[in-house]
Amino acid sequence: MTIPEAIIYDRDRLRSAGLKHILHTNFGLQVNMCDTMPGRTTESNNPSEQALIFVTPEIFTAACDFFTPRRKRTVVISSAANDSLPAIDPTIDIESIIETLDRIISELKENVASDNRGELSQREIEVLRLVARGHINKEIADILNISIHTVLSHRKNITAKLGIKSTSGLAVYAMMNGYISDCGI
Amino acid sequence: MPHFNPDVRLSEIVIKEPSIIPVLNRFGITLGTGDMTLRETSDSHRLDPDFLLSIINTYSDDEYFPEQALKSVQVSTIVDYLTKTHNYYTRFQIPNIERHFDALLHTSSDNSNLSLMRRFFESVKKQLLVNIEQDAQQLFPTLLEGKEIDDTGLFSQSPVAEMLTDLKNMFIIHLTGNYDLNLAYAVIVAIITLENDIRKNNRIRDRILLGQYKRNDQ
Repeated sequence: MTIPEAIIYDRDRLRSAGLKHILHTNFGLQVNMCDTMPGRTTESNNPSEQALIFVTPEIFTAACDFFTPRRKRTVVISSAANDSLPAIDPTIDIESIIETLDRIISELKENVASDNRGELSQREIEVLRLVARGHINKEIADILNISIHTVLSHRKNITAKLGIKSTSGLAVYAMMNGYISDCGI
Repeated sequence: MPHFNPDVRLSEIVIKEPSIIPVLNRFGITLGTGDMTLRETSDSHRLDPDFLLSIINTYSDDEYFPEQALKSVQVSTIVDYLTKTHNYYTRFQIPNIERHFDALLHTSSDNSNLSLMRRFFESVKKQLLVNIEQDAQQLFPTLLEGKEIDDTGLFSQSPVAEMLTDLKNMFIIHLTGNYDLNLAYAVIVAIITLENDIRKNNRIRDRILLGQYKRNDQ
């Protein structure tokens, strides 16, 4: 059985089939479709640890525990703006959908690759720089225009990857790697 | 690990748990313990054997909860122990890390990462000294006088142990460039020893000393 490179969780089979077609023909991805919750039925419903995930807000909310740890490779299929997860609006024209998907897929693949290497993603590096410069979480959220919840999530990932938790320790790491010029410790 | 009891020979405990040697030193017990049991050693040093045993068990077993065994121990005994522990940090453990770290830097002068990590240790040390000073000048005297603590900020302290964990991980995970392997190992061991010591003593401080105070206060 071929390991899927992307999985679509959507009860609307017609929309799901359309997205699958776009992902396959424009991005060469091997795609599985699921109209059930992850992990409830067959093993093929469970994404591999590499697969990109496309999910409706309803299924995401219903299986939050499953999707949240995989948020760095997850796209929400929704026309509503979402500041913590990339989203694809199914109501816009096809050209724009492909354009948006092109950008999102590149970002998610970079996330997966950096996770596999234990390296920080570009967004995590931005958060690290701001932490190292002494900004508190609220300020970081405002500067990057993301929610505090997302900042906390990035900080948790940074600590998990680096093994460094304290603000001054992160500042030293940022200096050691040239992300900032001086942390003032 | 099974807990020790007061009638075990002290030498057996030390052989199984050599990390308690510096803890025994704080009680004035030195090496060359001979055949004496823990109880006999306590008597000869005018120590409470139950207290000494609980401290040893706290060090040797992370799952050991000394609250029950130590609930009858006087506050002054615990404060005296913690004060000796703080003295041990400032007189031996911190200088030991600095000495090894400086030797490491001396032999690795072109390693800028090590210089940054040495500066980080300075900030850890500064914070540890602030914590020690706060306990010595404010918390301990208030507890010894049996007074009420108005400033509950005295209960919590900056997480020095976590900062030492960060420093340890910087060595183990992130250190690059040229450096003397043996000296780096010596610094890491010294950091881990202090980190573990602080974690154990935080349990004694937070769970026993402050636990007693909070129970009496209710």
